[in-house]
Amino acid sequence: MHVALAVAVMTPLVGALLTGLIALFRKTRVPEPLVVRIAGVSTVMSLIASLVVLLRFLGVFGAPVRGEIEYGAWLKIGDFLLPAVFLLDGVSVSISVFAASLTVLIVLFSRTYIHKEPGFTRFFALLGIFATGIQLVALAGTMEILLAGWELLGISSALLIGFFHERPEPVRSSIRAFATYRLSDAGLLIAIVYTFEVLETARFSALAAAASLAPTTTTAIALLFILSAMGKSAQLPFSGWLPRAMEGPTPSSALFYGAVSIHAGLFLLLRVYPILEVSMVARTVGVVIGLSTAVYAALVARVHTDAKGTLAHATLAQVGLILAEICMGWTTFALVHMITHAFLRLGQHLKAPNTIHDIHRLGHSHHHPSWLERRAPGFAAWLYSGAISRFRLDDRVDAAVAPFLALARLLDRIDQGWRNATSLDRDPIEASAIKRLAP
Amino acid sequence: MAPHGGLPVDPIDRAIARARGLIPDQGPIGVFIHHNTLHTYQHLPFHEGVQKGAEELGAKPYLYLSQFRAALAAGRILDSDLRLEISRAFGDSANEVLWHGLTRADLWHALMVSDSFTDDAPGLAYSIAAAEAEECKNLPLWKACLARATTGPALVLDDTRRILRHRDVLVALNAMDPDVGVHAEMIRISAGYTDQGQALAVIPGRDKGFLTAVAQLYANGAAPPRECPGADADFKHVAKAGTSAEDIIRATLPALGVTGDAVEPWLYATILALPGWAGMFSRLERFPGENVGGPPMSLVDFIAVRLLFERRAIERACKAAGVPSAWDQLRNRVPPVPARAPVLDAALLWRFAHEAKAAPEDVAALDQKTLAVLWRECAAATDVARRKIFQEAYERTYREIILDAVAARRQLPDGRQHGRPRAQFIFCIDEREESLRRALEEQHQAYETFGTAGFFGVAIDYQGLYDRGAVPYCPVVVTPAHEVHERPIDSAVERDRSSKARRDFGLGLEGWARRASQTLSGGFGTSLLLGPFAGLKTIARILAPRVSLLIGTQMAASLAPPPTTRLSAIRTTDEDAGDGRKPVGFSLKESTDRVFNALHNIGLVKNFAPIIVVLGHGSTSLNNPHESAHDCGACGGRRGGANARLFADLVNRADVRDALRQRGVEIPADTWFVGGLHDTADDGVRLSDLHTIPDFARAAFEEAVAALETARRHDARERCRRYENISLDDTPENALLHVEGRASHLAQPRPEYGHCTNSIAIVGRRQFTRGLHLDRRPFLISYDPTIDPNDAILERTLAAVGPVGAGISLEYYFSSVDNEVFGCGTKLPHNVTGLVGIMNGHMSDLRTGLPLQMVELHEPMRLLLMVDATPEALLGVAGRQAEVAELVTKEWVQLVSVHPETGEMLVFDRGQFVPYKPRPTLLPVVEKSPDWHLRSRAHLTPALVRSALPPEVVGPGHSGEPAKLTANAA
Repeated sequence: MHVALAVAVMTPLVGALLTGLIALFRKTRVPEPLVVRIAGVSTVMSLIASLVVLLRFLGVFGAPVRGEIEYGAWLKIGDFLLPAVFLLDGVSVSISVFAASLTVLIVLFSRTYIHKEPGFTRFFALLGIFATGIQLVALAGTMEILLAGWELLGISSALLIGFFHERPEPVRSSIRAFATYRLSDAGLLIAIVYTFEVLETARFSALAAAASLAPTTTTAIALLFILSAMGKSAQLPFSGWLPRAMEGPTPSSALFYGAVSIHAGLFLLLRVYPILEVSMVARTVGVVIGLSTAVYAALVARVHTDAKGTLAHATLAQVGLILAEICMGWTTFALVHMITHAFLRLGQHLKAPNTIHDIHRLGHSHHHPSWLERRAPGFAAWLYSGAISRFRLDDRVDAAVAPFLALARLLDRIDQGWRNATSLDRDPIEASAIKRLAP
Repeated sequence: MAPHGGLPVDPIDRAIARARGLIPDQGPIGVFIHHNTLHTYQHLPFHEGVQKGAEELGAKPYLYLSQFRAALAAGRILDSDLRLEISRAFGDSANEVLWHGLTRADLWHALMVSDSFTDDAPGLAYSIAAAEAEECKNLPLWKACLARATTGPALVLDDTRRILRHRDVLVALNAMDPDVGVHAEMIRISAGYTDQGQALAVIPGRDKGFLTAVAQLYANGAAPPRECPGADADFKHVAKAGTSAEDIIRATLPALGVTGDAVEPWLYATILALPGWAGMFSRLERFPGENVGGPPMSLVDFIAVRLLFERRAIERACKAAGVPSAWDQLRNRVPPVPARAPVLDAALLWRFAHEAKAAPEDVAALDQKTLAVLWRECAAATDVARRKIFQEAYERTYREIILDAVAARRQLPDGRQHGRPRAQFIFCIDEREESLRRALEEQHQAYETFGTAGFFGVAIDYQGLYDRGAVPYCPVVVTPAHEVHERPIDSAVERDRSSKARRDFGLGLEGWARRASQTLSGGFGTSLLLGPFAGLKTIARILAPRVSLLIGTQMAASLAPPPTTRLSAIRTTDEDAGDGRKPVGFSLKESTDRVFNALHNIGLVKNFAPIIVVLGHGSTSLNNPHESAHDCGACGGRRGGANARLFADLVNRADVRDALRQRGVEIPADTWFVGGLHDTADDGVRLSDLHTIPDFARAAFEEAVAALETARRHDARERCRRYENISLDDTPENALLHVEGRASHLAQPRPEYGHCTNSIAIVGRRQFTRGLHLDRRPFLISYDPTIDPNDAILERTLAAVGPVGAGISLEYYFSSVDNEVFGCGTKLPHNVTGLVGIMNGHMSDLRTGLPLQMVELHEPMRLLLMVDATPEALLGVAGRQAEVAELVTKEWVQLVSVHPETGEMLVFDRGQFVPYKPRPTLLPVVEKSPDWHLRSRAHLTPALVRSALPPEVVGPGHSGEPAKLTANAA
């Protein structure tokens, strides 16, 4: 069991590292078939292993294997131990199989889609990092392990948004996504430390004890978890990065923001649900955020004119709803909604470039003024202008962080000035080459 | 359309009129028509027009020097041709000695083949320090050059930065770029305004025009973008005062300090800053028929809205940067160009010394005057000037290979089959049909093929069985006078009614689910109800693209079987109904005229085979917004199957045949025509009206079908050699499965390569090119000068084919030399917007032109147009057809006259026909085409294919070792 679990989690990352090493030591481009073979074999192995885990969990060979699987401690400082623990329950095992199969599907898809692209090798390496990230998140038995997976997800997501880094817009979008992740990841990190502090462990299995904690403590921890989920799942006010994430190649957009990654925040909340359950305040906050995101995204999706942006917001609307469902306590229903929704959006995202073809087949639909436009044209116009500009969400966030950026720029200028003054920053090669040969 | 002269006097109107010409003239992407991207400069000579257009758009006019150098190294450009073109460019002054035996031609050659002329000082210094540079091979010389360059007069290059607008200065100053905010806003609202059905709600009040609609948003309290503070007040004012767009433009320019002579260039550059959307507004304004959503479009409105945002964005950016926002003051704030490092000049000097075999002492002794002469030459040898000469050489090497091969082929007996052909096949002129035609001709010497513009002379508004209206199926320059509808045959009408109802219900349901899934409640419902099914479907579509699509289509067909149909081809009267609507179907006289002309165009007026297959073409692919760009240009970016079917229907009619007989064209009673469609993506051939084939034609028909079945497999295999993910020696059967997989795969950005290999157009009799393997590169237009005494056929052929061929060739030219500006870049991040076009990722200008995946194999050259006609005949046609004359005399195509009797060749060069004497060439001979093309994935030189020709034509003396294959340029 230990082996199967380790294979399910680690092979994609090993594949990615292998690809990276080959790319590092070869002078020329790594041949595409080799890249695909490594990515294919590693993700298929991960899928098979996760299926084995599922079968063992269901008790197909021998007694069912459930609960925690221990791999000893991965960090030991004096008496302080951090155990490597994985947790097998219905949710984790099904998400693991689900994510592994979608990854294999996307590898197959991308094999032809990314063909001949300069970033071919990079793309598959990033998919490998993603695959391990999502397995870690799904199967983690402790919060630190989940955090590791969470960070792998974040970095692969940001790098894939900036996949076409020769143009400025993808880079801008990538940085925005990355900055949002950093902020919300801080929430996760603090929540984990806090949990550790009060429960002396960060095992999910120990969270049942949260009921006995002080309400302020559980509320604080639960709100921090909601903060981290908000970033990863693009809830208000962090929704601005999601449409920008459509800068990446179509298949990664489908896998990340249609199907898997966008739901990761929700999965986190399902994982820490025992803490969430006991905090009425946090649940109320979650419901409010989820529903307002749903309304926001639905309004934006109504007016957006690009295929991928519309889909991104339509997806976000459902994610907001699912967040509200979880915070209402309908966890099983939320899980079903999440998986069926992921299936629906995966195909829609992959088929987004087919819009013109579909419209030729299905026919143009003509616009008719809606009830609102007839009854309250002024309000409809205001609502439209808000929705088409996404309620200037990015501008508001930018304005909020502007003082911090100004401070950073000031420090940078001081630093540059100091470096120039001490001539540390001159290009040594150019100077010496010209000086040495000059008459 | 293009402002050839006659520009308005007012600077604002002038700027708008000029911009209208240069911004992309591409309509909504659902119907893609190839055209000369720089059509507005077609009245200028090619090089001048290309350079001017490219400069104004900030694009590259030719391939990079590094790409040309790679082509030189690969033998794709011959060094002798390069030297010839250099001396042609300078005439007598080419041999002037500049220094130490180094002539002007030598100097230019050195600058072209080496990369010594660089502006990368740190890079050069590094490679010298690391002893990697070529200069390190002769260090004493390098030291002498560096010393001389450091002390002597320096090379001064022109300042090539284009500082035309506020934004250019701000960017040069490393300040905030005001375009970022302005463009984001313009892109969003332009798409919201233009949307043809993607969004569920459109901008309120869009029937009142763009400016009014946007102003109304702000009047209702919209918030301005952060980059444009104050723009909301401006718009409110506009909404209240009802200011016209012209007045806004006239008021905003002075407010930004743009006055007097600065107005025209400033405004011109500002309109070109967001060319895709400006172009779409201008296009839809002039072609309301393409504007499905129907809001009034106006480029002037677009400019006015832009300026209102831009003014505030500029003011904010200038304030933040601490510079004045008045243009007359700001333009003087441009930082100076940094001086060239001596090391860069030294590299040039080293190169010259190296070429002139000069010693270090010679360099040291180089006097100021001579050095100044060298520098002057370098200043003249700009990047573009050198690339222009390279382009000429690139075209010359290729042209001469092709002309030599065609001449060598023509010296052989013409290989015409004596006696009656067994089958004849009429195709579109498209170069993608060349391989299919070869594959047919190689099967039997009595199979003949023809090429003609793929609407087969029947220009129609066509409405297919499931279409929602009639649309033109003919070249864009033609307006059809007739409509033709596809209808179920009488016995199927009843059954069709219920089948259509089921079909409509199914599609309606699908469309509803599609729209519903975008909404909050609909997304909830469709997730839970349809999510699992959608997931299964996605998995099937990825794991087995071909089979799953087939199963899906068959399921749909069994639920709602399509009926047997016929075309409403004929009407019984010559009169119009008089209600202003186009007549449906052709009268007897109209039919006869069209068939008569079409047959004469291709020279098929006698010797008819028992079976004649007429094939239009089109292309099916999925997940491809550019699907229509692979369809037939002669059918207005649509599929030519209906035209082929109609043509066959008309010519099969007994009354039409009688009328033709009276006009001298005797089609035997046992000859039958069949129309159909060749799908250039999956290599499918779908023939129409099979239920009407009479018994006497059955046997011949079966033979033709069998021949096509074989040929399309070979065609698929020939295409597959270009795709790296199938092996070269796979079987034709597997190749067919492979291309079918491509056409049905959601993940396939290259369902086919389209016109990617086009480079030649041959107008003439097939018997002189039959058996020549031309590697899918020529448009083949059948034309028989012997039945064209007064050049009337030649004239209409060139008038149709010249602009279409040149349009395709030039669109591919521009999209390949600068895929980011003239083309639309890689497909992978493309995002369909407003159903009118595509953008990159979540936000970019509309991207026009062709994607990288369509042009990656293309060799950008002007079309080599070879016509089986005398120079006199060609000049006569040019005198009557202005557009043909423009293309030829301004050298946007390379015209070659091939004498119909002697085969003598004359190349049109700088205003006159110059004889071309082909070099004696021994063509490589192969038994069958695959023996030639399955050796390599690269472009191929021509070869002779023995099996397409009678045995006596290619004697044993001709089989030689195959010539070297040309390499890919890029």
